[in-house]
Amino acid sequence: MSTNTMNIVAVTTSLSEDSTTLKLTNRILGQTASAGESVGIDVTTDVINVRNLATALTDMTLTGFRSEALEQAFATIAAADAIVTVAPVYKAAPVGLHTLFWQLVDDRALSRKPVLIASTGGTARHSLAGDAVLRPMLSYLKGIVVPTTVFAATDDWGTVEGGRALTARIRQAGEELVSLTAAIIGAGNDDLAEVADPDSHAGAGANATRGTSSANRGIVDEFDPANVTPFAQLLEG
Amino acid sequence: MEFGIFTIGDVTTDPTDGTTVSENQRIKNTVEIAKKAEEVGLDVFATGQHHNPPFVAPANPPVLLANIAAQTEKLELSTATTLITTTDPVRIAEDYSYAQHLSDGRISLIMGRGNTGPVYPWFGKDIRAGIPLAVENYNLLYRLWREKSLDWEGKFRTPLNGFTVTPTPLDEVPPFVWHGSIRSPEIAEQAAYYGDGFFHNNIFWPTSHTARMVQLYRQRYEYYGHGKASQAIVGLGGQVFMRKNSQDAVREFRPYFDNAPVYGHGPSLEDFSTQTPLTVGSPQQVIERTLSFRDWAGDYQRQLFLIDHAGLPQKTVLEQLDLLGEEVIPVLREEFAKGRPADVPDAPTHESLVIRHREGRDPIPGGGEGSRAFEDRQARAAEAAQNPTQEGADRS
Repeated sequence: MSTNTMNIVAVTTSLSEDSTTLKLTNRILGQTASAGESVGIDVTTDVINVRNLATALTDMTLTGFRSEALEQAFATIAAADAIVTVAPVYKAAPVGLHTLFWQLVDDRALSRKPVLIASTGGTARHSLAGDAVLRPMLSYLKGIVVPTTVFAATDDWGTVEGGRALTARIRQAGEELVSLTAAIIGAGNDDLAEVADPDSHAGAGANATRGTSSANRGIVDEFDPANVTPFAQLLEG
Repeated sequence: MEFGIFTIGDVTTDPTDGTTVSENQRIKNTVEIAKKAEEVGLDVFATGQHHNPPFVAPANPPVLLANIAAQTEKLELSTATTLITTTDPVRIAEDYSYAQHLSDGRISLIMGRGNTGPVYPWFGKDIRAGIPLAVENYNLLYRLWREKSLDWEGKFRTPLNGFTVTPTPLDEVPPFVWHGSIRSPEIAEQAAYYGDGFFHNNIFWPTSHTARMVQLYRQRYEYYGHGKASQAIVGLGGQVFMRKNSQDAVREFRPYFDNAPVYGHGPSLEDFSTQTPLTVGSPQQVIERTLSFRDWAGDYQRQLFLIDHAGLPQKTVLEQLDLLGEEVIPVLREEFAKGRPADVPDAPTHESLVIRHREGRDPIPGGGEGSRAFEDRQARAAEAAQNPTQEGADRS
């Protein structure tokens, strides 16, 4: 009765090959996989590196249309069950390239999708940047942002206490993401679904929504003749 | 199938030498371009409508079109586009009728909503009502051209009582109307509803998107019973720059592309050429690319090229027209005719529309008897009669 797979896509702006942003991304994805495993869910993960879309994003800002690579990235987002966004913080905001990605994705692209916000920065003074800047943007896109956000500063990688605190936070946020996603798509064993959403047994259960396929949740194809508003209706105003 | 050019009348500094033509020169150049279009054997010249710099396309296109009509014999004169949102439909009806008489029926229109937001308030309109304005205004225009002593009331202009357009359209047949839109499905639906043409400018977007708009229009055209989907009246734009040798074309056009007002300083010429229908190369490349439009749009009726923008010198533009007329259009005419099903109509002309009108074959807006739209309406009416709504029950 339950589906036992979950696809989590990380949108990460990793500006150098072995960046702390990429490290953090991989740790979060690893954590979500083990959180899934402990409740019988097979978590698959993908990473979209926004760096590789930098030119396409600028071009789209200027021309209004998407390159093929961007089209693919947006389709990957649409097909995902949950999203992790990870970016370095510049001047108290996630780097502009990263916010540009979220500004150009379709409205409602994140409809019914749990989202985990994570950021990296030089000092702890940047730690609320993800919450302050990305949370409203992701809510606008109809994403369901989990309560815990992850922020990793240089100290977190370099000190024992910092490392422990970061690990604990990653675990907390990862579990929130997996359990919320499981509740929405109806995956995993029932205990977990119940923890995430005590009311899920009340109705037919969340499983029913799974059939609608995560690929197109919330996005209507306006060029499908079946979805067009009949002209007589437009004429009536 | 008809071939032509369309212009937005931009006054853009030539990036290669920093010179800018005066408005006066640009306007005179536009007339020269149109005359040359006829001379080299093109069928259509189309002008945009603009109310703001850096454009000198006319605020009221019939002014320019009538002037060109007086200096040409056969050229069809069109718009690309007429702003149906901010122009009073009464003035559109009268001014284009007048130009239609002056030109002996050589006028057609492409309706558009415009892409310059600030224009709306200049004419007392609300930009948030773009689609409703296009819907109501065109409906009024449609009736003005077909009904005498019209009583009309709507949301966006003062009511009309017993109003008759002067002059009435030539031979009582209004100019042919296309509805242009880059991305609004409502406009494809509008074109289909009336049995009018649908035009996509086919410049700034990938063909995969344009194809979907065209397919939507075709399917709805069939739904409304105006003919098969393959018989719907489709027009496409495109932009080209040619030299005999394709490397020369790329080298010469690149600075104009890189600095163009709309997409300059963005994607590379190569990327943009891959992603959109822009073709910079030899006449043969333009021929091949244009012929490929049929693969995704089906057999269509009107092909317009943008050739006179981004600060290109007048001499260069006239050379483009020579290449189009001598090397490209004759081949396109021949190749597009091959394999074109006999039941796919040609582009409408005044003469063909007069015949259609006299034979009583004018499209019926919303679909006449025998159309699926008509059947659906009947079915809905029957259902409503059987299951009166609460509101209906209350009223009885």
